[in-house]
Amino acid sequence: MIGAARYTIPARRSLSQTRFATLMMAPAMLFLGVMVAYPIILLVTNSFFHVELLKPAARAWIGLDNYLKVLSSGRLADAAGRTLRYTVFALFFELVFGFMAALLFNAIGARSRWHRTVFALPLMVSPIVAGILWRFLLIDQVGIINYALAGLHLIPDPSAISWLGNADIVLYAVSFPDIWLTTSFVALVVFAGLQNIPRDLIEAARIDGAGAIQRFLLVTLPLLRPVIAVVLIVRGVDAAKTFDLIWIQTEGGPNFQSEVLSMNIYQRMIRYGDVGQASATAALFLAVMLVLAVLSYRFIWGRTRSV
Amino acid sequence: MSAVALPKAARPRLSIGPAVIVAGATLIVFIYSLPYIYLLLTSFKPANDVLQIPPSFFPARVSLENYAAVLANPSIPPAFGNSLLVAVGSTLLSLLLAVPAAYGASFFRTRLSGWFLLFALVTRMVPSVSLGLPLFSLMRTLGLLDTPLALILAHTTISLPLAIWMLAAFFESVPSELEEAARIDGCSRFGALIRVILPVVTGGIAITALFAFIASWNEFLYALLLTSQRATTAPIMISQFKTAYGLSWGPMTAIAVLYSAPVILVSLVLQKQIVGGLTFGAVKG
Repeated sequence: MIGAARYTIPARRSLSQTRFATLMMAPAMLFLGVMVAYPIILLVTNSFFHVELLKPAARAWIGLDNYLKVLSSGRLADAAGRTLRYTVFALFFELVFGFMAALLFNAIGARSRWHRTVFALPLMVSPIVAGILWRFLLIDQVGIINYALAGLHLIPDPSAISWLGNADIVLYAVSFPDIWLTTSFVALVVFAGLQNIPRDLIEAARIDGAGAIQRFLLVTLPLLRPVIAVVLIVRGVDAAKTFDLIWIQTEGGPNFQSEVLSMNIYQRMIRYGDVGQASATAALFLAVMLVLAVLSYRFIWGRTRSV
Repeated sequence: MSAVALPKAARPRLSIGPAVIVAGATLIVFIYSLPYIYLLLTSFKPANDVLQIPPSFFPARVSLENYAAVLANPSIPPAFGNSLLVAVGSTLLSLLLAVPAAYGASFFRTRLSGWFLLFALVTRMVPSVSLGLPLFSLMRTLGLLDTPLALILAHTTISLPLAIWMLAAFFESVPSELEEAARIDGCSRFGALIRVILPVVTGGIAITALFAFIASWNEFLYALLLTSQRATTAPIMISQFKTAYGLSWGPMTAIAVLYSAPVILVSLVLQKQIVGGLTFGAVKG
């Protein structure tokens, strides 16, 4: 086949490679243009108007007023702060638990097949189901987790902690299902990364006298950097834009203490009917996410290359 | 793809007994799966036992009461029907668009293809709410609110970029000599794709289809924004079990199982491919 390729005679009807490739991409480009790029332009346009949800025809140009209003709103700043805390908290535990599980699976190697099968099950489970399930586990008065904690004498009685009702802890409590669902993703990605590390590298470090912890910190971890980067970006973006998982548990309550950015924007649009302000907030959110994604991409890959 | 499935023959020397580590891993996996097992067991309790004090892990009596209550609710079966229709529709649409696009972008490297793949990647970073808001306005203008078509289009904005990236990776693994050989044998460029390349990547297309299907099946926010009654999907119905009917936890556990169990069973059967699909991008770096 390879030899024959040298005698390639372009077929008569053939298009040039570039034109053919463009033709193949055209329908998808058209779709993304109409359903993604155009709506985003629409979003940015709406953010300069005063538009009400129920009277979309009555539009009034108000320039940057929407931006000034939302940026000076304490509720938006609070929601942004919560989104950040939620993302860092969830990501931290997903990474720690995921890493521990991956190292454990790697240590027992082929015999971890069955363990990994079970660990893969939550990968496809919807956040809605995870949210409902954990809400049920943590439910006031009758939740089984509080009964288990009381049984272990970690809390005085089953009604001692109101996970989703206490404004001080609700933001962290609503992340439990997120951590539960996503630890498996992190574990399996990191496991795959560990399996790709050449064994002789670790063996060489061992012969040079490096202990288990040194081998992990100085050999394994640096080699896993691209994997960790992907996990951080993919999971960071997902956690920051979380809506459904928290909505199903608390709808942002109590007293807005679990209201994250996505929810703040949804409420501005649907509950308060202010399309303009909702659009301005959504446009800011989008811009921040894109900048963060580009920066982290540059930072992580730029450094990997120089290593 | 197969990185996960390739256990190395030699394992690191262990200072703790291997049996202890295996036991530890088994315990962790067991604790990890307890919440879902509890959901499953609870759904088979009689409705009155679901919130009993103190809670019991195992049902005292096995009952299908909760499932009967769910299926008797006239709005539940249509919601599952809508979910299925929308998921199938958006899967077919995204494959129809993504197969040629991924082929064009990954098989023939042009300047445009780089930008195209980047745009598809950036789309994934867009918060759903930032796209959902203008999609609502757009669908209202088009008179498509509360129709399955609106949701099919909206869900395709999620599954199309995903499908393009997954399929691009599958096409890259096909040697380009295959295309050249087909062309020498008289195929047009499009004919080579249909007759020679596609049969090689059917496995990849199947797993991409599964991802697209589940992305739509599990989606919540677009469904919440774009549907209200006729086109309501299962996850919206589940969330309304909470608000409209008070906290009827018994039927809610049953509907959560009905909604998630098929997905879990599929994951179990296709575990190797799913893990591969989720991780291959990451381990390639």
